[in-house]
Amino acid sequence: MDLVDPRAVARFRRNRGALAGLVIVLVAVVLSTLAPLLAPHNPDTPYKNRTLTTQGVPIGPTREFPLGADAVGRCELSRVLYGGRVSLIVAFAATGIVVLLGTLVGLVAGYFGGTLDTVLMRGVDTLMTFPFMLTVMALNRVVARPGLWVVFVVLGALSWTSLARQVRAKTLQLREQEFVLAARALGASTPRVLLVHVLPNLATLIIVIATSVVAQMILAESALSMLGVGVVPPTASWGSMLQESESLTRAVPRLTLVPGVAIVLTVVGFNLLGEGLRDAFDPKG
Amino acid sequence: MIAWLARRLAWMALVLWLVATATFFGALSIGDPVQTLAGPHATARDRAYIRAHYHLDRPRTTQYAYFLGSLARGDLGQSFRYHRPVTELVGERLPRTMLLGVMTLAIEFVLGVAVGTLAAVKRRTRVETAVLGATFLGISLPTFLSGKLCLMVFAYWFGWFPLGGYGTTALDHVWHGVLPALVLGLLGTSSEARLVRNEMVETLQADYVRTARAKGASEWQVVVHHALRNALLPVLTSLGLSFGALFSGAIITEQIFAWPGLGRLAYESVTGFDVPVIMGTVLLASTGILAGNLVADVGYAVLDPRIRRA
Repeated sequence: MDLVDPRAVARFRRNRGALAGLVIVLVAVVLSTLAPLLAPHNPDTPYKNRTLTTQGVPIGPTREFPLGADAVGRCELSRVLYGGRVSLIVAFAATGIVVLLGTLVGLVAGYFGGTLDTVLMRGVDTLMTFPFMLTVMALNRVVARPGLWVVFVVLGALSWTSLARQVRAKTLQLREQEFVLAARALGASTPRVLLVHVLPNLATLIIVIATSVVAQMILAESALSMLGVGVVPPTASWGSMLQESESLTRAVPRLTLVPGVAIVLTVVGFNLLGEGLRDAFDPKG
Repeated sequence: MIAWLARRLAWMALVLWLVATATFFGALSIGDPVQTLAGPHATARDRAYIRAHYHLDRPRTTQYAYFLGSLARGDLGQSFRYHRPVTELVGERLPRTMLLGVMTLAIEFVLGVAVGTLAAVKRRTRVETAVLGATFLGISLPTFLSGKLCLMVFAYWFGWFPLGGYGTTALDHVWHGVLPALVLGLLGTSSEARLVRNEMVETLQADYVRTARAKGASEWQVVVHHALRNALLPVLTSLGLSFGALFSGAIITEQIFAWPGLGRLAYESVTGFDVPVIMGTVLLASTGILAGNLVADVGYAVLDPRIRRA
């Protein structure tokens, strides 16, 4: 059996939205990864005498500074490239935690059932009851000196519940099927049944959900940083750039627009890709 | 139904207790509340006095017992910042956020259903493409960006709406709430519209809809009376389940529009280490989320007789 259904690949390739999403995502990832090579300047250096007018107003786009300068005279293009790096690292790392925790809990709860299932799923229910944004904000405050890892650990730790529920539901179906029974009858150990027989059948579900989780995490990171409780300036992330431009929105709209467009485009890309994958793997759903 | 409801309520109480416990121990680890209360110029004696006054010198378990005791009496403690009871502060802010919430839910429901139905009826036309595109943007646009954009365009440039704040009279409150509610409802409206469209596309192909058409019912009758009624069920459920997202969105929206509600209070409490207010708002929001889930489940059972016994 092919790991990926060729019909799904064909459906995906016919879907223009999905392809556009894939292209946007790839461009965003490549640009962020290559930021050190592509950025014309150091993102944290203020080039005051070249980029600020005598009144202290940042200059618009020039050949040397293609997207102009920010409020303290740093290169806006370099900052949005490096900022994308931080935003995407946070989003991918948080999604990694979501996939790990969500799959583990959903798989164990769905496969073993019984009391373990009840306890785990009640825990999921409880975690879902916490107001997400407020809890994330408060938890980010618990740590005295916040670093990037705090942001993604907290985001990931609070976002895996919905994935766990869907993995559990699918596992409940899978464990009743003949091939699982056959594997058990042939004497496969429980970890083997779970990892070799059940998990591969969950892969497409997990990939589809994870793609849209990345989009949600980008939005969450930028919202947090925008409120000043996520990635803290001077570190550039798309959210912290928005926060820094907050008081200047009317005077220099460009400084809000640049990170704003970056966020919206990337989120649209991941959402398009996620929806395209869903349609490709599960055309009825 | 009664037994089911009783079990649900008992479970809700248990979850609230778990949330309260986690919040209590979590909030106390945010930092030493004495530091916040006493300020930078306090002497060691001041601090010792405050520590004793708030029972912070007792063991954690004793403090926890005090906390549960006052919680049971409906006492959430005093705000560090405002030096007023948390219940009073929250009671003042809650109606404002509820006004915003009701307006938002109304927008989500009316607009979401209308747009979604339109897309389903006009299937495979430009109308559907436009709706799908717009709602896709709606679910991808961050609240703070759409908020700023709305503020800029409709309040600053056109001057149709106030630039923020809460207003003075009841009508004024609603007037001030239009933009924030639209922004807060954008995400919900878009996902509702997509949901309604999917449901309606399916329902419009159902046998009973064909029967209704065959009997000569008008198109309006078929769409609204026969199809929409059934497609609404998942919409109502998802509205009930959206309370959590609503509160998260309210924190950002109230910040942008200077709406003095619960979201803003929550934000200020987190940035200002106002531990009792943090705990109060978390508990209140959790209660709201649980209530939303309950309404969704009960609504489902009431509207669909087949699930009434489950």
